[in-house]
Amino acid sequence: MRIVIAGMGDVGYHLAKQLSNEEHDIIAIDMDQQRLSYSDSMADILTINGSSTNISTLKQAQVEKADLFVAVTSFEEVNVTSAILAKKLGAKKTIARISNSEYLDEKVDIKFSEIGIDFMIYPEELAAREMVNLILRSAATDIMDFEGGKLSVIGLRLDKDAPVIRKSILDIAKEFESFDFRIVALHRNFRTIIPKGNDRFLPNDQVFVITRPEGNNVVLKLAGKEDINFNNIMILGGSKIGRRVAELLEDKMTVKLIESDEEKTLQLADSLTSTLVIKGDGRDIDLLAQEGIIDVDAFVAVTEDAETNIITCLMAKHLGVKKAIALVDKVNYIPLTQTIGLDSLINKKLIAANNISRYIRKSEVLALSTLEGIDADIMEYVVQPNSPITKKPIKDLGFPKEAIIGGIIRGEESMIAVGDTRIQKGDKVVVFSLPGGVKQTEKFFK
Amino acid sequence: MNFRIVIKIIGFLLILVGFFMLTGIPFSVYYGGDDIPALLISGLGTVLFGTILWFTMKVNQVTEISKRDAYLIVTLGWVASSIFATFPFLIHGSIPSFTNAFFETMSGFTTTGSSILTNVEALPHGLLFWRSMTHWLGGMGIIVLSLAILPLLGIGGMQLYQAEVAGPSKEKLHPRVTETAKRLWAIYVILTFAEVCFLLLGDMSLFDALCHAFGTLATGGFSPKNASVAHYNSPYIEYIIIVFMFLGGTNFALHYLALHGKFKSYFQDDEFKFYISFIFITVLFATFYLVLSNSQSLESAFRNSAFSIISILSSTGFVTVDYEAWAPFATQFFLFLLLFGACAGSTSGGVKMIRYQLLIKNGILEFKRLIHPNAVIPVRHNNKTVSSEIISKVSAFVLLYLAIFAIGSVTMAFLGLELQSAMGAVAACMANIGPGLGTTGPVSNFSDVHDVGKWVLSFLMLLGRLEIFTFLIIFLPAFWKK
Repeated sequence: MRIVIAGMGDVGYHLAKQLSNEEHDIIAIDMDQQRLSYSDSMADILTINGSSTNISTLKQAQVEKADLFVAVTSFEEVNVTSAILAKKLGAKKTIARISNSEYLDEKVDIKFSEIGIDFMIYPEELAAREMVNLILRSAATDIMDFEGGKLSVIGLRLDKDAPVIRKSILDIAKEFESFDFRIVALHRNFRTIIPKGNDRFLPNDQVFVITRPEGNNVVLKLAGKEDINFNNIMILGGSKIGRRVAELLEDKMTVKLIESDEEKTLQLADSLTSTLVIKGDGRDIDLLAQEGIIDVDAFVAVTEDAETNIITCLMAKHLGVKKAIALVDKVNYIPLTQTIGLDSLINKKLIAANNISRYIRKSEVLALSTLEGIDADIMEYVVQPNSPITKKPIKDLGFPKEAIIGGIIRGEESMIAVGDTRIQKGDKVVVFSLPGGVKQTEKFFK
Repeated sequence: MNFRIVIKIIGFLLILVGFFMLTGIPFSVYYGGDDIPALLISGLGTVLFGTILWFTMKVNQVTEISKRDAYLIVTLGWVASSIFATFPFLIHGSIPSFTNAFFETMSGFTTTGSSILTNVEALPHGLLFWRSMTHWLGGMGIIVLSLAILPLLGIGGMQLYQAEVAGPSKEKLHPRVTETAKRLWAIYVILTFAEVCFLLLGDMSLFDALCHAFGTLATGGFSPKNASVAHYNSPYIEYIIIVFMFLGGTNFALHYLALHGKFKSYFQDDEFKFYISFIFITVLFATFYLVLSNSQSLESAFRNSAFSIISILSSTGFVTVDYEAWAPFATQFFLFLLLFGACAGSTSGGVKMIRYQLLIKNGILEFKRLIHPNAVIPVRHNNKTVSSEIISKVSAFVLLYLAIFAIGSVTMAFLGLELQSAMGAVAACMANIGPGLGTTGPVSNFSDVHDVGKWVLSFLMLLGRLEIFTFLIIFLPAFWKK
């Protein structure tokens, strides 16, 4: 596919790199030559220096031949304008990054596809929803539901005293007769592996498990976690994300929101009816103590500043908060912060890039997610009649080593894949794959 | 530094090189040469050795080629290819000394075309074909060829591409580097095919046509005849070669656009305009001089001066006449031409037009900047501002080039060449042209150069072909520091 990306910021760059690795032809437009040179040296793309709202620049990028135009600069106006222009110049599909949730509201009676924007992406909203999800399912570091929860992939960090520590996968399989869950990946020392039967679990491993709803509790128990209901959370930072998280949670639990800017606090207090808005500096430990951080179940740090978010989250963990979630928009920090003991990191730019690449792959793959900080994809395929995957039981397929079939959804039923399982046409299959296995995996579903 | 991937890719290059060695065999069979065993053994041996390297080096699929790996791959790849390319000559015994054989193959791959052979026609056809084939492979670049063939290189491919492809600006013809490489090679093959057809029409044998087409489009200069193109004594052939030398010296991105119907793009390109005007003026000058002083006919004066000047400028190095004998100052005039080169993005060598053009523009603007100290006066090329970063890179390149030229000339003079010949030899090797001046000039060759001198010149040829930085960087201690 020929894809033109306007804006080589973090979202654009990440997207360009990901899509170019998937053998799409990428043409990148940006005003900043240095940014372009950097992207050019890191990914196999063609770069064009100029403004994406200039028709001549768009023509130079040959948008008329593009299958997709993605506008992801940091300015909403630029994105909307250039998407419209690109569409009029002949781009088949357009995606624009926006920063106004109203546009996504289905009640608003404007058809954006009519003016030339096929898909809109609002990273702040996506990030907020992901955070809310993590708070509601308190034990997990990552969660992904398939087909409304018939199967879920859960990421868990193992504590020192978890029952599974030092046991191998085979030991665990012996203990449990039923197949309600399966361990699909293990993240240890910056590396993700697909574990084999005799791999043992160590403290601080991050484990990814695919489970059916019935298996949830067993999995949590094994990891030494329990799913408790949080009812008291504290949010640091009244940015768009902070406000949105508060909005989504304030009816379910007690929410405190700390923001240092006076004007913002007034606006927040005005729109958030049952949230307690506090004016103050979140780095001030006395303030946090005064507002009862010790009694808080979850702490969410979403200021503009990644360092502040990380430090305050660490502080909260230190004070005994059960879960700390930090917004970290510096991609480089992600592998590092996972090892220093934070529960979850949210990077809105990566989320946005993943969301777009999910949209691009929609035709073949139902859902796709890239787990942050670890190098792996989770994909959901619909099995086509006569595809190679249906020919043999899983163990005889010769499935690539870098990938693993997690589970299958057949109609209303869901099941965990084992060696003898035979996949049928129409099944929805959840596959976990390291980067090296994606292409080979795709062959099985063609 | 990831040595495994470096060695693995060099293995792949050797497989390619070995395979192409075998392409000479049909000609040795046809002409009944005694070089079949030599080509067969070295060809299969090289393929085998490359295959062993390829398969013993296990590389993680997601490994990316870093910038340092890329520089090392390109430089070592060229050296390894040249070493293995000597085997047919060594085994056959037509070039017994390794120094001479290495000089010859390095001269082939770098499309220099300087030769140590005094009697080219004594070589069997298979070896001659291989000798010309090294030109053809080196012209567009072995690395670019492997990029086109080997999809595995996709990710690190850009690094390799940048390390091998000549010129200050590396335009991509397509968003993907493998596709760009494919397109470049496609144009190259099309042009070669076209020249072969035209030469066949001029009553050349298929063998000669292929060898000359390889030598022309790669802007190399090896001819299977002792007298080079003069052997045929055919104005038609000379005109055909003039045209294709000129095309070989033109930016291939422009050919690509022209093949897509955009012929105008030639004349929208500042460098091409400069290239063609430079040729026009020098040819005009030489033609009139020859008509007036040597009383040649207008046609032959034009043909001889166009052939010689374009041959030198495009860094080809084919010879039809002894141009040094034209006039007392002809040697100086051609020394001047030796330092120019043709367009960036072509198969030619040397400093290249665009660098001089940018420096001249910048130099002139410097006066303007003196008068208006606060004005913002950027250098423009093709109606676009050229960043000062590029200007400084270009200045560094030209300065380094001239410095190496000076050091090289002195070194060669120490090794026994008279100064003018030394300068000519160094300039001709660095710019991958071929014939130098005086004792290394158009009517003589490099066989009498001191052995050490041959190594120095081989070194300079590779340095020139890889545009100095790619080559010299691996000698920097900082390059090897972790």
